[in-house]
Amino acid sequence: MIVKDSKMKRKWGMAIDLDKCTGCGACSLACNQENNMPIFEDDSDVPKRVAFLELMKVTNDRDAKFPDVKTAYLPKMCQQCEGNDTHGHKADPPCVSVCPAVATDVGDDGVVSQIWSRCIGCRYCQTACPYEARVFNWWKPEYEGTFKEGLNPEVSVASRGTIVKCTFCSHIWKRERDKAVAKGILDINAVTYTPACAAACPTGAIVFGDLNDPNSEISKLAKSDRAVRLVNAIDDQPEDKKKALMEKKQYPNPKVYYLTSQKWLRDMMRFKKNS
Amino acid sequence: MVQFIKNIFQESSKNMRITLYVLITLVVLFAIFAIQILFWGLGYTDMNNNFTWGAWIIGDLGLVALGGGAFTTGYLLYIFRVDKLRPIINSTVLLGFMCYLFTFVFLLFDLGQPLRCWFGFAYPNWGKGVYPASMLTEVFFCLSIYFCILCVELIPTILEHKVLIKNKVIATIAHYMHVLMWTMAAAGTFLSFFHQGSLGGGMWGVLYGRPVWYSPHFFFMAVVAAIAGGTSFMTMMPYIAGKVMKKEVVPMETYQILTKVSGIVFVGYFIFRVYDVYTAIVKYAPMNFRDYFDMWGGYYGIWMLVLEFILIISAIFFLVQKKYREQEKFMVIGATSGILAIVTSKLSVLLHGFSVPNFPWKGFTAYMPTIQEWAITFGCFACMILIYMIFAKWFPLFPHLEHEEHEAHH
Amino acid sequence: MKKIDRKDFLKIGAGAVVGGVAGYTFSGAPFLGFQWLVEWSQDQYVPAGGVEKYVQAISESCVNGCKVSVRKIGERAVKIESKEGVCPSCLNALQLLYHPERVATPLKRSGEKGSGKFKAVSWDEALKDISAQINKAISEGKANSIAAVNKNESINGLLMEKFVRAVGSNNVYYEPTWKSLTSQALGGYIKYDFAATDYVLSFGAKLIEGWGNPVEMQKVFVDWKKKGVKLVQVDSVCTRTASVANEFVGIKPGSEAALAFGIANYLITEKRMTSTGADFAKWSQIIINKFPLSKVAALTGIAEDKIKKIANDFAQSKNPVAVAGKGAYGMSGSSAEIIAVYCLNTLVKSRAASLVKDSEISYVAEFSGIDKFAKEGNFSILILNNSNPVHNSVYGEELKKKMGKALVVAITPLINDSAAYADYILPTLSFLEVETPQNKAAVIKQNEAKDAKEIIISLASMVEKAKAAMPKQVSDVYNISNKEVAAGSFSFNVDKIKNDIDLYEKKLTDKEYPVTLVPMEVPLVCNGEGLAFPYVLKSIDPTILKLGKFYVQMNKDTAKKYGFSEGSSIKITSARGKIKAYVHLTDTVAPETVAIPLGFGHESYTKYGNDKGVNPKKIMTADIDPLTGIADWWSTRVKIS
Repeated sequence: MIVKDSKMKRKWGMAIDLDKCTGCGACSLACNQENNMPIFEDDSDVPKRVAFLELMKVTNDRDAKFPDVKTAYLPKMCQQCEGNDTHGHKADPPCVSVCPAVATDVGDDGVVSQIWSRCIGCRYCQTACPYEARVFNWWKPEYEGTFKEGLNPEVSVASRGTIVKCTFCSHIWKRERDKAVAKGILDINAVTYTPACAAACPTGAIVFGDLNDPNSEISKLAKSDRAVRLVNAIDDQPEDKKKALMEKKQYPNPKVYYLTSQKWLRDMMRFKKNS
Repeated sequence: MVQFIKNIFQESSKNMRITLYVLITLVVLFAIFAIQILFWGLGYTDMNNNFTWGAWIIGDLGLVALGGGAFTTGYLLYIFRVDKLRPIINSTVLLGFMCYLFTFVFLLFDLGQPLRCWFGFAYPNWGKGVYPASMLTEVFFCLSIYFCILCVELIPTILEHKVLIKNKVIATIAHYMHVLMWTMAAAGTFLSFFHQGSLGGGMWGVLYGRPVWYSPHFFFMAVVAAIAGGTSFMTMMPYIAGKVMKKEVVPMETYQILTKVSGIVFVGYFIFRVYDVYTAIVKYAPMNFRDYFDMWGGYYGIWMLVLEFILIISAIFFLVQKKYREQEKFMVIGATSGILAIVTSKLSVLLHGFSVPNFPWKGFTAYMPTIQEWAITFGCFACMILIYMIFAKWFPLFPHLEHEEHEAHH
Repeated sequence: MKKIDRKDFLKIGAGAVVGGVAGYTFSGAPFLGFQWLVEWSQDQYVPAGGVEKYVQAISESCVNGCKVSVRKIGERAVKIESKEGVCPSCLNALQLLYHPERVATPLKRSGEKGSGKFKAVSWDEALKDISAQINKAISEGKANSIAAVNKNESINGLLMEKFVRAVGSNNVYYEPTWKSLTSQALGGYIKYDFAATDYVLSFGAKLIEGWGNPVEMQKVFVDWKKKGVKLVQVDSVCTRTASVANEFVGIKPGSEAALAFGIANYLITEKRMTSTGADFAKWSQIIINKFPLSKVAALTGIAEDKIKKIANDFAQSKNPVAVAGKGAYGMSGSSAEIIAVYCLNTLVKSRAASLVKDSEISYVAEFSGIDKFAKEGNFSILILNNSNPVHNSVYGEELKKKMGKALVVAITPLINDSAAYADYILPTLSFLEVETPQNKAAVIKQNEAKDAKEIIISLASMVEKAKAAMPKQVSDVYNISNKEVAAGSFSFNVDKIKNDIDLYEKKLTDKEYPVTLVPMEVPLVCNGEGLAFPYVLKSIDPTILKLGKFYVQMNKDTAKKYGFSEGSSIKITSARGKIKAYVHLTDTVAPETVAIPLGFGHESYTKYGNDKGVNPKKIMTADIDPLTGIADWWSTRVKIS
């Protein structure tokens, strides 16, 4: 099929408004269901847990005492890092350049992909990831009996011993795209989509969209004063210093923005001296 | 066959018998747990999504760095023609061979999908130029090729077995292989530089998202570390073998050359390591908005760094100064310190590196290998020791010894 | 031609073998073989494909009436989606629908009670036996010994209430909800108009974490953010509601009522405000005498000035509202507290809180509430309508014993702690398998289970006495209209709660048990219902359950005082018993307080829900409230070691 305009113009990004987040966990449930997360009898081995989206409980009791404390739930998925060009080096997310088998790559839409069946399970990408967003199938993924009926055919079930991760539900984009093509719309940029977590958020705290489109809600949110990226203190630097640093060293430079008007949350994004 | 094994046990001293029992037990345990890990996966280890690598990678890092003594020794002997190193070269090559062999074994266990290990060659991550994008791709290729070279280097030792060498053809092959070995040594050194750097340091240094590891010069420091520690290791192993066999397997002057090299390189390593810590403190940690000393905490605290420096200084102190080095006990202390310094630095890279929290609201983590990990790690070491023992007993591992015996015979 | 001798033959043979091996190697076939080996050795499951379709469904088992869109691949439902927001149990519908431990056919007990041994029986057999026993009880004049416990006020609950009353029994109960609690305390439940308010003073109500109608409250929360409604949260644990509040007032655990008394006291004495409720004069006298601001400050740990400021802010707002009913999914509160908080609304003449009643649900029963029923009630037949009082009630153990002597029928999709003690288990369908007036069933029935409505109606059709009053078929159920009607006038009920108010201060300062145990709720777990679902287990924070260890949360200074450190084990002892757990240190919990996650410690709730944590209800205070008949278990005095 010849597609007229086949160059991908979109760059997907996400903004999570922590001011609106109630910590209900709907995003986590939706993600697990959509992405066929394995089902274990006891999933309390948190360090070995396989889930794309982690509902992190963040409190500021490092900095404050009761009752000046605060609690937030922070949905953390793959931050879809972009990296930044340094010394003329091509920008890559921390995980992509290290993979010895090219099982992970950055798509032209900015999504960091992961091919379960290509992965050899060396876990180098997991080591490289500063956001603990990649998970490894330490055990064989299980789906007891009738639970198999609820599996989504668009996301393949991974083998034991492979790395899996959030891909911004890019299979949903493909689903939308296929529908558009069936209608005769061949423009690759014709469709937008919503990942499972964003669709499930009851307060509309998760916004998903095209960062390349200056008029999209996500672009505006990403530029707002409330926007901060996970543990990325470079965002707090003055613009010129930030630029200078970015030329000297690579930074993950994620495409997931967290919005907060709370000072305590911004403070918690920074490491402080151990007491 | 049974009789043969029985004889071995009967001939050995009591201590040797106990040692053999322990080693064989470890190998059996290794076999049992290897099956469990390979068939039912890595869930049985204490590695997890946060502590992604554990005991086996420590084994890899250690073995490759210490095995790196083989390329240094080979280089000195075949390129610089330091002929005094000839008595130790067979042992060195065997050690290097085993270190690399078991690096592969460890790596294979560490893969979640060992059956897909060939993907590393089939789909290498080569980036745009000649230089690979992934340090592991480099490790895959360099390690494999260098392992092949070590195989070639090892062949003469086997061919020189007193039974085989009687065959004229084999004798000729062995002779010419020795003569041409410099080509292998040169190629090996070239390759070794790369994978020493990549597996030992570059692999960690390039992780720009992880402030605890990120440092652009880590690659080069690992090469220096391998030369410094490897030569000490290559000294200590035959030395211990000699003590066990109660014979002079390698002349003292050979040890002296290697330990001298080790000591001098350790001076370089010390300077490099100081520079490394200094740049981490003033440049790389702040570039990631972290405080270097804050990153030392939990179980794997600053004591690891202090210990490493004490061991380095001890190695330098005893190995560089001739008056100490020439006394056997100080040479042993120095070389052991050197080996331990490298082992500590690798432990620290891994244990400390992984324990550092990635989020300000998370704490330091810890890692306690499970029985499976211990068994496989020590089982591999036991295999290595057994192979070394077999070579020492039945193959011309120590030409010097045979030379002596020959003299005595006459 | 030269004869091929043996040597040549071997050479050719060897050449062929070498060539073959080389060819095979370079063909790539071994690698494909490896790939095949990988797949074969791992037995990767491939979900079946099919035509994609979206169908709609409405939940009738939850009070929110969640509307969902189900994504189907062929006949399989693979995803629940919703534009309007859904409650956690509806979001989990697929995990219930395809739960491997779903009860597929009616079950009859075949072993000792509680042994978990059941055998399959036909619907006919089960319903015949149950209805025969009900008919027998009625004919023997023991109709009132037939009791039912409803999970909530959904259509199914309504139908059960109708049935039990038609049988001639007064014993129908609801698990504590904000509605049942306030109805019993105030004579009607409080209808909040959260859209109209500009100042919300919440006494420990976890408003955005599932309180009341979670779907509705999520919307309210977004609306408040837009409008800048001020939310003041009073609590002893820093919950998410406390964190999104404009102001978080940390309070000593269990002293919320004291704060309400203090504010009322201040508004009455200083601001000359009055309430129209009956007995107001009597009540205000007690409060003024017993709870002067200085004492309230001591009891609550909140400075007098701060209390005054809260009172002033509250009184000066345009349309303030005070909310009682601590918790989210596990609701608790004494009537003294509910009345005092509602009094604040009447003092400032809030237009955002009014008392109403449901036309079909009276909450008037033999005993005032479920806990009192569990403790004192006697029954020969007990029907559990999707409820789990054994786990949820502080009198679960007592109820278990009584269930041993009665005929217990559990209408439930999964065998829960209570159903484990049943004689009959009648399996219900997931709402996705049920046809509603609006929609066809979203998926075909997975097993022989039936819709709860159908079960109740068929049972009723076999009971002579109930036949007439009950709908004849499922479609008739929708003709029952449960309307909101005005409640009678509000009374302080001073005579009934006076004793509680008198003892209140003593309760807060028990020297033998110096620490207070309070529950905390965990996202998606709700009051324990979520634990049967693996995807809920996947979202539990490691500070609550990690590697099988169950953690309670404790203030850092308090931990130091009692000698606890992160991860150390703890024994918590109350007057009723003791439990063991591990300690997680966090300053999000008030000093001298231990917060324990709610909903854990199931004895029987599928293999996914079993053996996880402990159920704190076992040791929580069991003093039954004189009006609500529900134990005020929220804060329990304990000692720790």
